[in-house]
Amino acid sequence: MDQLIGYFLYFCSLLAVGGIYSLIALGLNVQWGFAGLFNVGIAGFVSIGAYTYALLTTDTSPLHYGGLGLPLAVGIVAAMIASGLISAIIGVICIRLRSDYLAIATIGIAEIIKLVLKNNSEITNGPRGINKIPRLWENFTEERFYNDWPMSWFASAETWQSIFSSLPRWWWQPCFALSIIIAVYVVYKLLEKLRLSPWGRMMTAIRENEPAAHAAGKNVTGRRIEAFILGSMIMGLAGAVLAMHLRLIEPTNTFDPSKLTFLVWVMLIAGGSGNNRGAILGSFLIWVIWSASEIVINVGIDVIGDFTNIHVGILSTRAGYLRMLLIGLLLQYILQKYPLGILPESRPTASSKT
Amino acid sequence: MRKSIYSCIAALAVVSGANADVKVGNPMAMTGPIPDLVAPMALAVDLAEKHINEQGGMFASGEEYVIVRADSMCDPVASVDAVTKLINVSGVVGLVGPVCSGATIAQAESVAIPAGVVTLSVSASAPAISNMETGTDLMFRTAASDAYQGVALAELALANGLTDLSVSYANDDYNAGLAEVFAEHYAANGGKIHLNEAHEPNKASYRSEVATLGANTENLALFAYYGSGGITLMRNAMETAAFSTFLGADGMLAQEVIDQLGAENLGQATFTTSTSDESTHGYAMWKALATVAGLNPLGPFVPNSYDATFMMALAVEHAGSADRDLIATSLRAIANAPGEIILPGEWAKAKKILAAGGDIHYNGGSGPQDFDANGDVAGDFSASVVQDGAWVGKIIK
Amino acid sequence: MWESFGFEFVNFYFIPGLVLGCIYALGAIGITLTFGILRFANFAHGEVMMTGAYVTWTIMAITGALFGWALHPLIAAIPSIFLMILVFFVVDRFFYKPFRKAPTIKVVMASFGMMLVIRSLVQILWGPNQITFVRGIAKPNGFIRELTGSLDMMILVPNKHFLIMAGTVVIVILLGYLLTSTRIGKAMRAVSDSPDLALVTGIDVEVVIRATWIVGGACAVAAGVFLAMDIQMLETTMGFRMLLPMFAAAILGGIGKPYGAVLGGLVIGLAEELSSYPWIGDSPLLSPGYKSGVAFSIMIVMLIVRPSGLFKGRTF
Repeated sequence: MDQLIGYFLYFCSLLAVGGIYSLIALGLNVQWGFAGLFNVGIAGFVSIGAYTYALLTTDTSPLHYGGLGLPLAVGIVAAMIASGLISAIIGVICIRLRSDYLAIATIGIAEIIKLVLKNNSEITNGPRGINKIPRLWENFTEERFYNDWPMSWFASAETWQSIFSSLPRWWWQPCFALSIIIAVYVVYKLLEKLRLSPWGRMMTAIRENEPAAHAAGKNVTGRRIEAFILGSMIMGLAGAVLAMHLRLIEPTNTFDPSKLTFLVWVMLIAGGSGNNRGAILGSFLIWVIWSASEIVINVGIDVIGDFTNIHVGILSTRAGYLRMLLIGLLLQYILQKYPLGILPESRPTASSKT
Repeated sequence: MRKSIYSCIAALAVVSGANADVKVGNPMAMTGPIPDLVAPMALAVDLAEKHINEQGGMFASGEEYVIVRADSMCDPVASVDAVTKLINVSGVVGLVGPVCSGATIAQAESVAIPAGVVTLSVSASAPAISNMETGTDLMFRTAASDAYQGVALAELALANGLTDLSVSYANDDYNAGLAEVFAEHYAANGGKIHLNEAHEPNKASYRSEVATLGANTENLALFAYYGSGGITLMRNAMETAAFSTFLGADGMLAQEVIDQLGAENLGQATFTTSTSDESTHGYAMWKALATVAGLNPLGPFVPNSYDATFMMALAVEHAGSADRDLIATSLRAIANAPGEIILPGEWAKAKKILAAGGDIHYNGGSGPQDFDANGDVAGDFSASVVQDGAWVGKIIK
Repeated sequence: MWESFGFEFVNFYFIPGLVLGCIYALGAIGITLTFGILRFANFAHGEVMMTGAYVTWTIMAITGALFGWALHPLIAAIPSIFLMILVFFVVDRFFYKPFRKAPTIKVVMASFGMMLVIRSLVQILWGPNQITFVRGIAKPNGFIRELTGSLDMMILVPNKHFLIMAGTVVIVILLGYLLTSTRIGKAMRAVSDSPDLALVTGIDVEVVIRATWIVGGACAVAAGVFLAMDIQMLETTMGFRMLLPMFAAAILGGIGKPYGAVLGGLVIGLAEELSSYPWIGDSPLLSPGYKSGVAFSIMIVMLIVRPSGLFKGRTF
């Protein structure tokens, strides 16, 4: 029974992290799929969202700016606004750049964001990061939340304590995962609406044939910046949720571009770029492959270690790199064999045929 | 269809392993900035596992004590990932590890503490760990906090007549924290710090930093990992003879440093690390075991790794079953007085006492390992210098 | 000027900046050629540098073990260059060529993927730990020190830095000759400046592409070996760390302009090292924690102010 609960909780964590990646991919899809912007600085926007959320919702600490202890919802909204603001500044500066230039510029900007977060220790606690970040649902069990409004409106502290001690220890995990899935669904629905709206159709026109759109009098640059900001706001949301999931964020490894940025691009391309459903599918697919491949490789190593004389230790240190290698090759394969991704974009056509 | 269901179940069984054994998770930074330091620690963990299984295994039924290793990469995100799988998929009863402080804090707050699983870190030394828990008692470590090492290093510097120096620290969680404790204590006790600057790890050249830091002093306090820029910085410093004396902590205490820079150039380098008091019985016992197994008994955190693994097994044995909720109390019971003294390797003896309902008090190779209210232990530190091509440490009293 | 700064400035800031700049410059040459002729940012370039250094070391180790030779890295680099050019051809044929006519994003994504594939391969084959390339500490060259000392100056340059700078000069001269005086060089410049016109005049683009990989590959391996000589060790992340400053150098100099790349590399290398100089007072001008940001900032400023770079290269 315990083993089954363990598998169930692992499944919940897969859902949670897959959901976070889905949010990032949806945000990237707005920038890439809608507006054709090659943003490789994803890690930067996610980290802004994460840090904003963390700084606003954590308790007082001598190590970093904090102690505002604001409600989680405020923290999340603030994360989105912060990401949006920074991306607005960057967008105005960089939006005219063509694809590879924009790629390089956004990588550089993400690096600078990371350095700023790392070096301003009074505010962010530098490389040591911010911990004890409140996690949705789990935070209800923390004293500073149930002692305060709004929870104290419903019941006293003792009542809450007895409620929580009667629940199984892991009760919040499926709730958390479910909340993320709901968030993904809501964002997806909104983006689909957007895609089919006049704004969305104009974005498609700009992406497909920019000179024509220009000639038709559309403000191409303005629309692009809008798409950039919207995508970044969604990434900021994802960053806040990531901070909740990890409960400790720090600038060096948490937002590692080769895991965050690269993996999300693989997810988008694999799932179907320009396609919201594809973004979600690609995220879950690639994340499950990534996470489960470690288990598979470890089992494989044990098997090899049993049958040959190669020391298991040497094999396991190389195992992580094997995963990277396989994901890299997978990307090449998908790029060549499934250029449109697994779920190609379905465009609304003018005629009545589907 | 049925066949694939059976093979799925079989796969699950393979993955989860047979149920008749006690699994303990061991997230270690096998890859990352300090692989050479971690490798002997992992061997020490395996050694403890071997001793336990050779001397009767767990419980009366003689179940196997299985260490399930995962790579936490000294990285918070990777450790959360790895520990999630250890706890949920492998079903471990407790954690021995991780190695790095950032990884330890992240996985504890994100996964282990919410799941009610004990973390017994082998080497995480961040001062922040002491007070990180509110309301739970699940965080333990067999290594002393840097709050002490920073102080010990500052006092060593002053005792060695270094009245002024510059500090350079790698901008990562471990080294930044240690540098801060050091600088504070050193300055408070009359030392003069000319410059105290961070440096980014993993750069190709630190020549300009070195030149600026060394403009007014001959002495450098360097806090870095050897594998992510520490060696390069020392090399740059030596090339230009900017500094004559180097001081630092365990991130630099690796044979790799001697291999790359050359023993002849390291005459004035002293690095501290946590160590064992060689005059104790626990250490003598450990030394014998380590020598037989071909391990360096004074390798940084190597005895701590053995002790943590052994103590986790003792705790499970004391608890009587692989029940996560009982481990914390049992861990305190076996580690602290009162009880009959148990030394490293004495598994069969301990098992007999516990089976008869008695109490034990483990004294390890790395120290008495008595947990205080925060789950911390006191520790000794040594200062190492290069002798005959290897680091040789002398305990600081 | 030197008198007021004293020779610390020259020895500990300026020359190291030049050396770093030379390494950036060589790498940037390959990047700017690829950018100009093949029209995409090759993210795998840093990994080729790194692999070239690893292969060089392996050749040195094998010949040392088998024949007892102690090859100098620059000699062992030559077979390494051939090997890496071959690797470039294979990668191009299987992973980049399918995307010649496709939107740029595809081939850039493919190069991202190749970056990880190559790096992972090296990590699997050689292991993730550092490898010592040259043991010990390099002391300043005695001859130069005495020569300048007798002239009332004091230049301290270890041999390795001297070799790196001299090597870079030689390569740049050779490159210049190639591009101005040979048919293939002129064809390369034509394709880079105006691909349509080049096609019209009958230049075989595939031949030019192959030439690009050859020249780029040789420069990349040289850069990798010089870097390994400077830091005296091999690490699997050393290529990637150099990549963004090299992109910055290529953009600074102007895409498709090799001389621009060289100048760009030198400027960025100098800027990085000089940013830690205590220009004002005793502390470094810029906290060394931000040193990595110098290259990126220069690049972003360039992209905004003058995307065509100093030498007026291509803009897209």
